[in-house]
Amino acid sequence: MSAISTKNLTKTYDGKIIALKSLNLEIPQGGIFGFLGPNGAGKTTTVKLLTGLLKPTEGECRVLDLEPGKNPCEVHRLCGVMTESARMYGQLTGMENLVFFAQTSGMTQEACNQRAGELLKQLDLWDARDKKLSAYSTGMAQRLSMARALIHWPQVLFLDEPTSGLDPESAQTVNELITALAKNAGTTVFLCTHQLRYAQDLCSGYGILDKGRLLAAGDLQTLCDAIGCHIRAGFRLADGDTLEGYHAENGWWQTEVLREEEMPKLLKEIIDGGHDVFEARLIKPTLEDVYFEYTERQEAQQ
Amino acid sequence: MKLISSAEHAVVKKDFGEIWNTKMARNTVITVPVILVVFLPVMYLVMIYYIPMSQMNGVDKMLQLLPQEAKNFTAKQSMFYLLTNLLCPMFFLMIPLMVSSVSAACSFVGEKERNTIETLLLTPMSVKQIFKAKVVGCIILSSISTAVSFVVFSIVISIGDIMLKMPFFLNWNWLVLVLLLAPAITIFGVIFMVIVSGKSKSYMESFQTSGFIVLPVVLLFVGQFTGLFQLSAMLLLFVSVGVFILDFILLLIGSHSFTPEKLLK
Repeated sequence: MSAISTKNLTKTYDGKIIALKSLNLEIPQGGIFGFLGPNGAGKTTTVKLLTGLLKPTEGECRVLDLEPGKNPCEVHRLCGVMTESARMYGQLTGMENLVFFAQTSGMTQEACNQRAGELLKQLDLWDARDKKLSAYSTGMAQRLSMARALIHWPQVLFLDEPTSGLDPESAQTVNELITALAKNAGTTVFLCTHQLRYAQDLCSGYGILDKGRLLAAGDLQTLCDAIGCHIRAGFRLADGDTLEGYHAENGWWQTEVLREEEMPKLLKEIIDGGHDVFEARLIKPTLEDVYFEYTERQEAQQ
Repeated sequence: MKLISSAEHAVVKKDFGEIWNTKMARNTVITVPVILVVFLPVMYLVMIYYIPMSQMNGVDKMLQLLPQEAKNFTAKQSMFYLLTNLLCPMFFLMIPLMVSSVSAACSFVGEKERNTIETLLLTPMSVKQIFKAKVVGCIILSSISTAVSFVVFSIVISIGDIMLKMPFFLNWNWLVLVLLLAPAITIFGVIFMVIVSGKSKSYMESFQTSGFIVLPVVLLFVGQFTGLFQLSAMLLLFVSVGVFILDFILLLIGSHSFTPEKLLK
């Protein structure tokens, strides 16, 4: 059973604005799936469809084999959702907010208090537990939202830009928590973000969405292979020296290689050719490289 | 079987806190009843008690509105009878109407305005459960306010009755009004606001709209001063049944319009 699957999932508003077009995804259980795309790409719409807040115009989606549109309560029982637009209650304290949301999950008072305390400590909010949410900073409110999404031990966690507005320390706390959840608790994390570097550190699989269309999905290697983004071997030579068949970029002479194993042979050839090599390195394509390759190609096609 | 689940109970409790923390809602829940069941009747009583009837205008015309049972009253007793049975029912019904609509505005529109409705819709509670908890919460709050107001009102009017040596004010009209019409109007106020909430962007906007629902109640009671009709217990009973039927129809409409897609628009 997949954690998340969508078939031809489409959402249009008023029959005119296409927010999502024929999305086909199959995300296995466990791991962190990075759903990437610029603002307005359709990431939040996808989360809202997967959590039953919106009904698809066409197609279908399933979360742990449940249809969110038909069985939203059961989906919410198994999933935690954190979106930028879902706020908590300003007049309640951090602790009261978490206890309230735990109660809506049907937990006992004792379990609510215990779980809320646990999460407040994990997310560095314990000292602010009795402060009203309205007095929280953006980062603290964001972490409290994260705690709310985790309050009922979800099997699937939908996170929409969970670290936007966080300082580096808070972002690191949240990232560590997400990684630990996926690794230790087996939680599937569906992470929407446009912060590519952060996504590369966390995710095991990716989907690239642009203007409501899924451009590609898979792990980084699959995405690289599909678009033709290869590893590059780079060499820094003496000033004025040149290498035939290589191209220069920021003082480095580079060429694409299919496998890392080609590197020693290339280095030997260059040295044997009488060049002085000051530095040599393998430049692996980053998620950022792959992402921009896909989006630029999409733009060129349009 | 429990009437409301623990999750629904949590929503009701949270809504109470939220209404209480909203200044305008809190003022309405406290000030409106105090003005309508204490301040106005006391002022009127003081006026009747201390100002000679000869100095008042239009007393004769007003006394013509008295029913048979009050024909033997003195002028002062008659004026107080008119206050208790013609004016005060209108004042009194404003309480469930205003409190229910302002609490529903706060509970439904306020939640939408503060972007917390999405978070609530993401809980394992069904939309129906959330709707039920919110409606029940507003009805309970309004009922408590109405009940307390009636107790205070009874004390105020009873003091007047004792001062003017009149029989106890409670009659069939008041019983129907308190036990049937007030609850029917409470439900009406809440459901009306739920329907309005779908279109309102802000709590203030919806609260202003609620002003319109006061008009039918005012017309019903002020209409008696024209002499065209008098509200009997039977007529009030029919009105109550009519409002309950209207409540049921509006409840169906309201519950259908309470969907995530419409609420998150």
